[in-house]
Amino acid sequence: MTASVVRGCGQLLRCPSVFCKGYLRPGFLNYAALCHQSSQPSKLPVGYVPETSLSKPPWPEVKLPDPEEEKKQNIDVVHKVNDLIATGQYGRLFAVVHFASRQWKVTNEDLILIENHIDAECGERICLEKVLLVGSENFSLIGRPLLGKDLVRVEATVIEKTECSPKVHMVFWKRHRFQKKKFIVQPQTVLRINSIEVLPNLS
Amino acid sequence: MTSRGTPSRFLKSVLQNGVGRYVCQLKRLSLVFSKDSANSLGVREFIEDGVVDFARQNPGIVVYVAPEKCSIPKIVAEYLNGTVKEEPVNRKTSEEIRQLIKKLSDQSGLEVIRIRKPFHTDSPSIQGQWHPFVNRSPSLRVQRFVKEKSELESS
Repeated sequence: MTASVVRGCGQLLRCPSVFCKGYLRPGFLNYAALCHQSSQPSKLPVGYVPETSLSKPPWPEVKLPDPEEEKKQNIDVVHKVNDLIATGQYGRLFAVVHFASRQWKVTNEDLILIENHIDAECGERICLEKVLLVGSENFSLIGRPLLGKDLVRVEATVIEKTECSPKVHMVFWKRHRFQKKKFIVQPQTVLRINSIEVLPNLS
Repeated sequence: MTSRGTPSRFLKSVLQNGVGRYVCQLKRLSLVFSKDSANSLGVREFIEDGVVDFARQNPGIVVYVAPEKCSIPKIVAEYLNGTVKEEPVNRKTSEEIRQLIKKLSDQSGLEVIRIRKPFHTDSPSIQGQWHPFVNRSPSLRVQRFVKEKSELESS
């Protein structure tokens, strides 16, 4: 009992408890206990942490589904997607391909412009093999990181090989009578995406 | 410097070229040169060396060879969309002219100006346009303005 009161007194007076222990007097003790009761209505347990966004997330607790049930559901989903692909019940497909160090989201009949020369003549068909993702309206196949060549096939035609409009590269130092002007013209290639095909050997 | 003030266009092709098959967009090529000026030496060499081969390899392009009295020889290229491009070729070698003609036949006749975006699509979204409630619980979209009975009793 005394120990607890002393602890309360230490909190109240904001002094180390050792100091309080040395100078205990009966009257002083009573006064401290009274003060303690009036200022703090309820005593909080040791190690209490108030409920804030730091101690507990503000959203309701998420209940994860049973792993076995989830596995069953996943198998069902894979079967469904396989059926869709096998019966050809997907509409327009889109794909994310990596080409010319960029990622392009393409569908059939798209045009993409590459700021470089590529090693194919106009009218030649090329196959874009780095496919990161293929999607239709009802499903998406995501590569980790790439989808296999036997799974997806994205074809494109080179329709134009031209040059970009001249870009001006100007260097100018003020008060130094120094300036350089350079016109930069880079080759450009326009590709037309012809077809995106998915083959039904998804496991 | 910036190029915002320069003329620009979006990426496009002439008449959906390449959807079915590819059609070379250059239809007519005239080589205008002088028979005896030194400026047209390269053009004359090219006509001796390569013009017949070029015409054979590209049956879709009509090639005209027009000797005229001119100080500056030129190559006039006409495209299927009606564009006419003139390129002066004075003092160019036969090899340079070959490359220039290759470039002209690979182009589509659209203006060579700044292109605003490096892609063009007619179907921008397949799975639906994204909005903040995509893949969210449908209950988040509902906002109730009238309190229910149980809520009224508790309050």
